Amino acid sequence: MNDTELSTVVRESVADIHSATPVAQIISRGRAVRARRRIPGVAGALAVAAGTALAVATLLSSGHPGLVSPGHPGSHPASARLAAWTVAMQANGDIDVTINQLQNPVGLQSTLRADGLPVNVSFSSNPLSSSCRPYDTTENVLSAVAQFSTIHGRAYLVINPSALPSGTGVYIFDEPGAGLPSPSPGTPTLGSGQPAGIIPPPAGITGPLAVGLVYASQQCTG
Amino acid sequence: MGTQQLDFAEFYRSAADECLRTVLVSIGDQGTAREVVDEAFARAWASWRTVSRHPAPKAWVVRTALNASISRWRRHRREVPVADPVGVADRPTARGASASLVDPQIMAALMRLPARQRQVIALRIILDLDTANTAEVLGIAPGTVMAHLGRAMAALRHDLQPELQQENRS
Repeated sequence: MNDTELSTVVRESVADIHSATPVAQIISRGRAVRARRRIPGVAGALAVAAGTALAVATLLSSGHPGLVSPGHPGSHPASARLAAWTVAMQANGDIDVTINQLQNPVGLQSTLRADGLPVNVSFSSNPLSSSCRPYDTTENVLSAVAQFSTIHGRAYLVINPSALPSGTGVYIFDEPGAGLPSPSPGTPTLGSGQPAGIIPPPAGITGPLAVGLVYASQQCTG
Repeated sequence: MGTQQLDFAEFYRSAADECLRTVLVSIGDQGTAREVVDEAFARAWASWRTVSRHPAPKAWVVRTALNASISRWRRHRREVPVADPVGVADRPTARGASASLVDPQIMAALMRLPARQRQVIALRIILDLDTANTAEVLGIAPGTVMAHLGRAMAALRHDLQPELQQENRS
């Protein structure tokens, strides 16, 4: 079987699949998308309200300088007085993460892994890495693993590694474009570009912060 | 119905099936594919002035749908697109669509591929994008697209050849 024949086989395998949604229904839904975009700041609220995700709006600004928590400091951008994030291991084994800015995900990932947590961190980037496989879980399990809160624009995350189901790891990510405009047509990658009339989120922030579980693997969680 | 709606309606009618099949091959679950493709077309309508000028509007829709499927996982942990690759073709499907519309053997073989290889197969073979556009949609290098395509085709051939030969004999 050559490549052409194989391509035909693949194409024919789904040839009977047809869209059944009337265009009027799509347009009606499109109007709702448009209306949603006219409400600045709705992004975080949507994600928080949307079911099992543990998500918080991390609308951080430089107007709330505060003390840096003890522990491992994150990156220090020249324009900011705060570390981007800090990590502190508690006596009971919990890991406290304070996130001031969604920067230096690789550093945060390395720090958490050094503390023994299987983790993958992704800020302002692509969809879930192909090396990571989502782990099907419940809100209760997720809540036992990670607790989120925000105070004065900072995100506080408490991770309890002992609550992780066997063979799983933590995935910390931002939610680019949640409730915000869809990708810019010029660059079909999520979160790039903001159509006119939309108030963009603060620099470096493309959406709410969230936590999920993934199957642990060398490639995904270290 | 205004000009904008007419143009969009024409695009939707000509592209909807192809986009749906591409996303289905990429993520494996028919119900999810239908949902995220509908959402992607709704977003395309909402940004139609710019999407209609995009060099590859179908690619824009597919990219948006694939991103939506990831967001969907992030929001609804119980709806994992490919938790059970082998059994995915046998899952019940949404909106009354019959699973028999999809060739279960081919779909199972596709679901055994790594996600990235499956996406490349979907974009190159189903959506008929060239290597450069596929690379742009997936955010990877053109050489990587070709490498994924080569590996995916080899794996599919190895996986499907015995079954297809068996079918031809019977």
